[in-house]
Amino acid sequence: MKQVIVNPEKCVGCMQCMLACAAAHAKAESLFAAVEETPRPQPRVHVGAGLFNQGFPNRCRHCDPAPCQLACLTGAIFRDAATNTVLINPDRCINCASCAMACPYGVLRFHEEAAAPPGKTVAVKCDNCDARTARGNIPACAEVCKTGALVYDEMAHAMNEKTRQVARTISSDTTAQGVPDTVALYNTLKQATVKAGKAIRR
Amino acid sequence: MKHLIIGNGIAGINAARAIREMDTTAAIFMVSDETFPPYSRPMISYVLEGSEPHAKLPLFAGNVYEDLNITPVLGHRVAHLDVQKKSIHLENGTEIDCQKLLIASGADARRIRVQGADLGNIFTMRTQQDVLDHLAAISQGVKNALVLGGGLVGFRAAHALLKRGITVTMLITSAYPLAMQVDETAGRMILRELQSHGLSVKIGVSVASFDGDNQVKAARLNSGETLGCDLVIVGKGVDPSLGFIAENAIEMDYGILVDPYLCSSVPDIYAAGDAAESMDIARQTRWINAIWPEAAIQGRIAGCNMAGRKVVYPGSLGRNVMRIYDLDVMTMGLANPEKTDDLEIIQAGDEKAGAYRRLVFRGDILVGAVLINRIEQGGMLRAMIENRVPVRIPKKYLMSLDFNYSRLL
Repeated sequence: MKQVIVNPEKCVGCMQCMLACAAAHAKAESLFAAVEETPRPQPRVHVGAGLFNQGFPNRCRHCDPAPCQLACLTGAIFRDAATNTVLINPDRCINCASCAMACPYGVLRFHEEAAAPPGKTVAVKCDNCDARTARGNIPACAEVCKTGALVYDEMAHAMNEKTRQVARTISSDTTAQGVPDTVALYNTLKQATVKAGKAIRR
Repeated sequence: MKHLIIGNGIAGINAARAIREMDTTAAIFMVSDETFPPYSRPMISYVLEGSEPHAKLPLFAGNVYEDLNITPVLGHRVAHLDVQKKSIHLENGTEIDCQKLLIASGADARRIRVQGADLGNIFTMRTQQDVLDHLAAISQGVKNALVLGGGLVGFRAAHALLKRGITVTMLITSAYPLAMQVDETAGRMILRELQSHGLSVKIGVSVASFDGDNQVKAARLNSGETLGCDLVIVGKGVDPSLGFIAENAIEMDYGILVDPYLCSSVPDIYAAGDAAESMDIARQTRWINAIWPEAAIQGRIAGCNMAGRKVVYPGSLGRNVMRIYDLDVMTMGLANPEKTDDLEIIQAGDEKAGAYRRLVFRGDILVGAVLINRIEQGGMLRAMIENRVPVRIPKKYLMSLDFNYSRLL
């Protein structure tokens, strides 16, 4: 079964995945209509800035066993057996934030949501775009990602790719190492900027 | 194999689920004085405040005893445990024996022992029945409530009653509520938030006696003052329910001492939840963290071990998260330790900043944290405390409100 696989070294921090995610979870499922909706659709993938401002698309790992599911006071968090996705039932959620305390990756957010009862703040996180995949589409974040930081793939295939990539790092040919030149250059520049900034302040 | 579980709280239920997962034929007996279906105990304060219905409390749809093939023995407290025979005696004289026993009897709310404490409308808050009793009293008209204790239960009771529009006075011994959970800066932010919503707090006083005919009408304080009140909720802590165990029968301190497999000093007798005393990860000493998520995981691990699959319990960590009107508060581990040379404490923010953060380190290991607002990343800090991950990046980075997982990579 395919799933979204994250290659953080390829992320340039453009945040298009966040926009696409929010739009995919809007009532209208379109960006133009989404900006007019109440509650305003929010992303479930969160691009954070690392120590050198490098991008990092932080997404629910759908852990098994899932700490958030074990911590949920009401049994609102459950695993869908067919897709292996950890989901939250907004009708059972009481917005207690026990899941946020349990999640080691910090992926939970709390706000009103199109799929929740109107006016109710609930816990929200990635649902693997189950509605989209059921229609034959791929998850919105992977669909929109231009650099390969988020790809929709079989885990076994992705692992093989990664193994080959690691093997190629002994090659002197840097183009064989998997990260596009432009992305590598961009991340090097960011790192240099941060380091230079520190040097100047000192 | 015959398993006997004392208690149908989350520890007992999760133990039964784990046993059943691994052994479809074992006999499982479960004894409890609570007859209501297994429910989410932390949710009772949501029922008291009226944000969730009582009907939402049960953890399972349908009959969990039937679904897991458990023989329930409900409505009875255990009177005596015969450690040698591994059998229990109920108050009605029934004896039940077993091969593996789990003591998940939980804890009972401490009662107040002053004159007039048996008057009507003086309650504790521990079970769903307690909250039903509160609601029955409130439906008769309650105007002034008195909450004794500023711990978690006292705080939750006061918060819930305020939300119902009842005037609440809280009597506490510390300078601010939740003194066991948070430091002074955070405590005062919480206090002001509650006060701005109508809570009055009296510090350093206690109740000397209650007055009233059948129902409580007033409380006389040790300061000589008299407070009119028509409802009292006592939140003076809990004690492990272990009265059925004879002295020296099992190694006990405040709770039953357990090894890393949650087994007591007696082979085949396990303990989990509020009655079990295990290692505290932040303190690195024996401790009872009587919280629901620890009871849940302890129950599961005890069940695994009882069913023959050896699983180690890594130790417990005190933690809590609560929403107090416009404040979101998360606290974990050694949030407010006595200052010693080996501890490094960093704190920043206050009411004006809209957020507050306090981190406690022992060397390069995070051992405690208090967060007010912007709590979404708190789980990462919790994982760092629990896993004792050495912090290799500058510690101030963890204080950033924008701190996120990528900063650890």
